[in-house]
Amino acid sequence: MEDISKQFKGLTRRKLTFLVLLVAGLFCVAFVALTLGPASVGFKGSFEALLGGSGTAHAIIWKLRLPRMVMAILAGSGLALAGTVFQAILRNPLASPYTLGIASSAGFGAVTAIVFSAGFCSEYHIAGSAFIFALISSFFILGIAKLKSATPETMILAGIAIMFFFSSLSSLFQYMGTMEEVQEIVFWFFGSLSKVGWGEISMAGAMILLPAPILLKWSWDFNLLAGGDDSAKALGVNVESIRRYGIVLASLVTAGAICFTGVIGFVGLVSPHITRMVIGSDHRFLLPSSMLIGAILVLSADIVGRTLWAPQVIPIGIVTSFIGVPFFLYLLMKRQRDYW
Amino acid sequence: MRNDFQILNTLVKYVVAAGVLLLVVCPILFGGLTAYALQRQADEIITFKDANGRSIDVRLPVKGIVVLTSDALEAIRAIKAEGLVKGVNSGISKDPLFWPELKNRPSVGSWRNPNYELIAELNPDIVIGYAGRPGPVMERKLSSFGIQVVRLDFYKILALKREVEILGQILNREKEAGELIDWYHKRLDLIQKRLQQIRYRPHVYVESYSKYHTTGPCSGGNEMCVLAGGCNIAEGFSIPYPEVTPEWVLVKNPQVIIKAAAITNAYAVTGSGPLKEIRKDIMARPAWDHIRAVQEGKVYVMESSIWTGPRAIIGVSYMARWFHPDIFRDLDPEGLHREYLERFQGIEYRGAFVD
Repeated sequence: MEDISKQFKGLTRRKLTFLVLLVAGLFCVAFVALTLGPASVGFKGSFEALLGGSGTAHAIIWKLRLPRMVMAILAGSGLALAGTVFQAILRNPLASPYTLGIASSAGFGAVTAIVFSAGFCSEYHIAGSAFIFALISSFFILGIAKLKSATPETMILAGIAIMFFFSSLSSLFQYMGTMEEVQEIVFWFFGSLSKVGWGEISMAGAMILLPAPILLKWSWDFNLLAGGDDSAKALGVNVESIRRYGIVLASLVTAGAICFTGVIGFVGLVSPHITRMVIGSDHRFLLPSSMLIGAILVLSADIVGRTLWAPQVIPIGIVTSFIGVPFFLYLLMKRQRDYW
Repeated sequence: MRNDFQILNTLVKYVVAAGVLLLVVCPILFGGLTAYALQRQADEIITFKDANGRSIDVRLPVKGIVVLTSDALEAIRAIKAEGLVKGVNSGISKDPLFWPELKNRPSVGSWRNPNYELIAELNPDIVIGYAGRPGPVMERKLSSFGIQVVRLDFYKILALKREVEILGQILNREKEAGELIDWYHKRLDLIQKRLQQIRYRPHVYVESYSKYHTTGPCSGGNEMCVLAGGCNIAEGFSIPYPEVTPEWVLVKNPQVIIKAAAITNAYAVTGSGPLKEIRKDIMARPAWDHIRAVQEGKVYVMESSIWTGPRAIIGVSYMARWFHPDIFRDLDPEGLHREYLERFQGIEYRGAFVD
């Protein structure tokens, strides 16, 4: 008995160590992101500007680098959180904001704003439209979840159907669009962190950070859901309620993450898996660790994207996949036993 | 004596008969030759290189064309050949004020992916499209109907002269094409001549339709900026429309900022409200108040109608005035635009194109 307790404590310590390491890692990456840029501000200058002062260096740090860094962390952690929650409540390793069609519908929202704005389209128009459509698709999935016979597999299939439906609608609008509209749509789908300022961050932050504590609080319920609906119910989990509100909150987080940045692919799917491979499926640690992995992934991708081919920027949506896919495949091949 | 008279009389008869014969035969002969020549002309095949550098044969005369791009359609109307247009892209009917006489022509679908069945039904001699879009599938589909695909862009300012010349030859409007080319190059040459007098080239950040996507080499925006006497800060890049960080623009500290904007039906829009909003948005971008262009208010928005395409010379004239107000004080881009629309397009001047 004592051995089991010791083992459990050892495992918990390992998970905590991993969590601390991730926090330290995120700080390191954030430090690089803050000090790296075309302006010759330097390490010392960056910190001086961060702590106070005025002038160009202060404006560069506070108005350009810091919002970019914060948005990368928010978007990465938000997508990873949403991905982990979707995978937990649907008990499916393929669940992510993309496979559930939420990203596609948000993308269609952005396309609609671009095409129907008659040429003048602010970031807020695009983001608002993306958000509304993300919610439409999540309510649709929620409607399906309410059906008595709806299993997690049904919801995944419905999500994939929604993904194809909204992708087709986006393609139709692109097909009908002018050359200029098509250009704007294509670039939106690449994703970008250049367009965000503090105004956008406050909105995205509210959408991501407000639902996060609730989802983190449900960690035990997510753990019990892994054993199946019946056993979770037997142990006192309100499965339907968790599934229903979990989807709505995770959709809100997804919308917050992508409506201002465009499509940043792969993070929502891969972050939970990477974390699960290292520390297992205890959602008390999985959720925050996955969020940190997502944040590190997007922030690192942004650093690579804006330095590799500087001053030209490789769009964030492309780089996240370039970095994430080989890393994920490496972990997948290295892994000897099933982790899911 | 009598015999001599008879011989003379016979000789005169022969001469008269020969004369009559000549009078009758010659016209027939010449007529035949002329008809032969005309026939030859009718069967003449013109060979030229298209926008892809591909050798194209077009059999003359061309009696019907389907035009997939609005740039080509504008060039065709400028050389008074719009009567030959049998079909247009679906966007033309959405801008009825700009295309009053062409808005009701049959639509053949999108400029990127037209309906080949509709084109075949219209049975034109040629179809005009961009160099890259639609893809080679267009040639494959239309060759079986004997329809020749001609790829001409009409949006690259330096290639415009050659393309209008080709268009004039194909459509038998060489005189009109010459007039357009003369008008165009007189304005462009004047700008280039004056620019030779000075060495100063202001640093310019040119932004395409998407936020923070600049215009690098091989883009229309770069070509226009350089022709107007500006130094594009992204000229040394490797791709035409790369994303840049706002910090990089701030570090480069351009003296002028030019933004391209596509306003739907700009010709029908009254007032420059939408363009003003876009300009206001640029001026208010985070930390950009540290950029010289913003501090000095040298931020300009240009509508896509005069950005690239057959009217790029208007855009270049505006840019030249913004970059070098001292030497182009007398340049009147708006007047130039008015003249172009009234003289070459046959429509009145209206709309808002810059702010």
